[in-house]
Amino acid sequence: MSNSRFSVAGAILAAAIVLGWSTAVSAADIVLGASVQLTGPSANTGRYYKDAYEFAIDKINEAGGVTVGGEKRKLALKLYDNQSDVNLSVRQYTQLVSKDKVDLLLGPFASNFALADSAVSEKYQIPMVQGGGASDQIFSRKFKYIFGTLAPASNYFGTTVKMLKELDPAPKSIALLYADDAFDVSVAEGTRPLLKDAGLSIAIDEKYSSNASDFNSLLSQIKSNGTDVVLMAGHETEILNFVRQAKSLAVAPKLYSFTVGVPSEDFRKALGADAEYAFGMAAWLPSADLKDRWFGDAAAFAKDYKAKFGYDPDYHAASGVADVEALAQAIENAGDTDPAKVRDALANLKLDSLYGPLAFGENGQIDLPQIVIQVQGDAIAPIYGAKGFVGKPKYPMPAWNAR
Amino acid sequence: MTAARIALASLAIAVLAAVPWFGSDVLVQFGINALLLAVLAQGWNIIGGYAGYASFGNSVFYGLGSYGVAITMVQWELPFAFGLAFGVLMAVIFAFLLGLPVLRLKGHYFAIATLALAQVMIAIVSNVPLAGQNIGLVLPPLNNDPLFYELALGLLTAVTLTIFWLTRSRFGFGLIAIRENEEGAAVMGVNTTLYKVLAFALSGVFSALAGGIHAYWITFLDPESAFDISLNVKMIIMAVFGGPGTILGPVIGALTLSAVSELLSSEVTSVAGLFFGIVVVAAVVLMPRGLADIVRRFRKSGWRYFAENIKAHRI
Amino acid sequence: MDVGLLAQILINGVFLGGLYAIMALGLALVWGVLNIVNLAHGAFIMLGAYLSWYLYAGLGIDPFLGLPINAVVMFMVGYALQRGLLNLVVRAPMFNTLLITFGLEVVLTYLAQLAFSADFRTINPPYAGNSIALGSLVLPQARLMAFGVAVVLTVAMWAFLLRTKLGRAIRATAQNLVAARLYGVEPRHLYATTFGIGIGLAGAAGGLYGTVSQINPYIGATLTAKCFAISIIGGLDNPLGVLLGGLVLGVIESLAVLYIGATFADVASFSVLVLVLIVRPRGLLGKAA
Repeated sequence: MSNSRFSVAGAILAAAIVLGWSTAVSAADIVLGASVQLTGPSANTGRYYKDAYEFAIDKINEAGGVTVGGEKRKLALKLYDNQSDVNLSVRQYTQLVSKDKVDLLLGPFASNFALADSAVSEKYQIPMVQGGGASDQIFSRKFKYIFGTLAPASNYFGTTVKMLKELDPAPKSIALLYADDAFDVSVAEGTRPLLKDAGLSIAIDEKYSSNASDFNSLLSQIKSNGTDVVLMAGHETEILNFVRQAKSLAVAPKLYSFTVGVPSEDFRKALGADAEYAFGMAAWLPSADLKDRWFGDAAAFAKDYKAKFGYDPDYHAASGVADVEALAQAIENAGDTDPAKVRDALANLKLDSLYGPLAFGENGQIDLPQIVIQVQGDAIAPIYGAKGFVGKPKYPMPAWNAR
Repeated sequence: MTAARIALASLAIAVLAAVPWFGSDVLVQFGINALLLAVLAQGWNIIGGYAGYASFGNSVFYGLGSYGVAITMVQWELPFAFGLAFGVLMAVIFAFLLGLPVLRLKGHYFAIATLALAQVMIAIVSNVPLAGQNIGLVLPPLNNDPLFYELALGLLTAVTLTIFWLTRSRFGFGLIAIRENEEGAAVMGVNTTLYKVLAFALSGVFSALAGGIHAYWITFLDPESAFDISLNVKMIIMAVFGGPGTILGPVIGALTLSAVSELLSSEVTSVAGLFFGIVVVAAVVLMPRGLADIVRRFRKSGWRYFAENIKAHRI
Repeated sequence: MDVGLLAQILINGVFLGGLYAIMALGLALVWGVLNIVNLAHGAFIMLGAYLSWYLYAGLGIDPFLGLPINAVVMFMVGYALQRGLLNLVVRAPMFNTLLITFGLEVVLTYLAQLAFSADFRTINPPYAGNSIALGSLVLPQARLMAFGVAVVLTVAMWAFLLRTKLGRAIRATAQNLVAARLYGVEPRHLYATTFGIGIGLAGAAGGLYGTVSQINPYIGATLTAKCFAISIIGGLDNPLGVLLGGLVLGVIESLAVLYIGATFADVASFSVLVLVLIVRPRGLLGKAA
């Protein structure tokens, strides 16, 4: 019996080694290195980046690759699984740079990873373009080699707060709930002054532990306070629990909005009809107006992506694709793969992409306005953009038993 | 210890110390990590291997050491050495304050109490502004891996020498007596409370130093990674894999398992976690007394060694 | 302080506590009888949750009606695992059983991710979000039902251990391995049965957990930690103690969120755990040491 167990283990190992080898790259390619969460608690979103990176690289290669000094060169990806372990990801980035000798770096998912991993790119002076970390902390360290394609965390609720002022009946009191990690704390810190400027009072301002599974106490307080609006910055798991428990406690504020989850198909599937009315935000929606050099436009990209991977891309995926495109364009602009030259080209990059206009600010971060979205029926409806309402919000949210 | 053994040990240390001059960046980096893990395994060996108390609180020492360095360097802008000292100070205070009540517990109860302490620390530190709350602290980068490597190696040498001294000191015999039969030890005149707390603190000092070096090297820490309980599980696995209660067992266990795990996560990447789990299960079944015991008994029993182990521990 | 809110929070705490209790019941049994601290317990709860999810989403079996199926399947898994694997290390030093269950947890979590993907799941029968209003108080229906199941199972366990021959043999074994033979039960079978019951309970707990919370392959580790706390607070030798432990923890956590802050729920519960360990190491209902 123990023999068979070993042979199973052996077979798995053998298969894995073969898989590992199949990703080996030829020397003439320009190699981009990344370490993302393919297993472990962050794998749910981490895997979007793997798909996005591979998809973008394949597409660019189909078009002949990137032109460096008059010569077409293909892109290749060297990817590790950091198992949702920050320390391991730091080691893997070091390995990518010093042993695998990759040319340039793509980022991991999540702010705390980007925060730690950006130290590696800075140390070895190899630019890293990352689309997975939005915390303002990543970009406040005056690092020169880190570039980010997510909108700043502090402004995630910016558009939402603008919308709140124009809603009828006007909401008065707000509950601000946020998880205790780098990204969500940044969101909360950015949101407080926005609410104050908008003349909205914060009735509940509560931080909770990441991975909390029970929100009954908080929900009961929200209900007892008669709070109109709940703004919640957290992780998908917590937001799923929050919505389910809100229903079971019959807590229905006029509106609730979540930093993550709402744009992703997985989230809506898990909640089913209960996802209805949830507000969220996305810096990106698959619109045909967003033209792209490789994919045509964002709508075409979304269609191809769904066909290939079987799920709708959300802004994480688009942001991941934008990272690859930014590097590809920067290499062409620099006419070289030398890290320092690519860095300068990135700093001056101006590229219209499926993700939106790519141009990095002084600190290395992009600034895209968030679009307020809402789950309506089976789909996501854009509600409020930079220029005001673009759709009709379903507001106020009815009581749970009146749906 | 014979002269030949001293020479052999010195040679081994010299070779290890020379790694930064001929090894690649990756090897040095792996080395720092593996050596620090070996220090942690050795630190655990003192309280777990010799005194027989399965501590899950050593990651607290590690975390305190990390935060000692981070707070000192980031918030107070003092040099690294002060940070290490501050971290050690916090670890010792912790060992005495919480060790006294917790070390009264036996077996699983002690293990769970220390596990709970580690959980509490995460939550507490997440709410301390000085420690950067849950976001953590970002340290000034120092691009000098050889230095970190030599520091880690020095620390490992120090902890191993300490354990070597333990095995021939009254203190060490006292700990072993406690492990074998605590009441008996007390009857024989061992001040068990004092011995246990001292062992806990000693193990804490080394773990804190390892944490401090790691924090400065990785330049970033947050409560989750500083007080990571799975790190504590790793220490135990490494110590038990190598042979708890032996001088070199935990070092060999740590270096072997680090190498295996590093190889897996860089070569077979996604199944590394699975394979690690299988290795742990297989190791516990086949060699419950660690590598050190294999070396001792394999010559006599040959391959039957593994079957004998199973026979001895099953019902 | 608003009395209505306080009452609501207490109710929330009690319901949460019922769920906690049933999660911890199996862990406490295995720990108390086999002296195995099962670090993989949470992983089994996770597997149970997925099992219920498949029964519901795939075959349309109501999660509450599916609990017996779930428990039986998980019992067999547990029985086989104890017979085939854990049995090999039953007499090994304590570290080793800790380590082997840790390894098992890693493997199970990994396999779960392979089999179920990292997608989030919820067991969402139509009544999952329903609630019963009592004046200004709200009783969530799924939690109320879960609480009822927890109470029934706890009492059933208690009766089983005290009143049946097999139960008495199991309890005797906790004191002394030879005692099992006096009851005419083969020890290996007895151990495997006990472990199987523990895992069966974990499976049932998983099914209940899935109806009130989301499921993913990584929920196990935190649940294991919670179960420890509950078992210790309640004591290992009495299922009623575990129920009490769960209730105490549930209420403390709910109150901590209200009065201290949401990030302190875990601090509160683990502080209570450490206190109980130091003051009453055998648990609230345990016999004095």
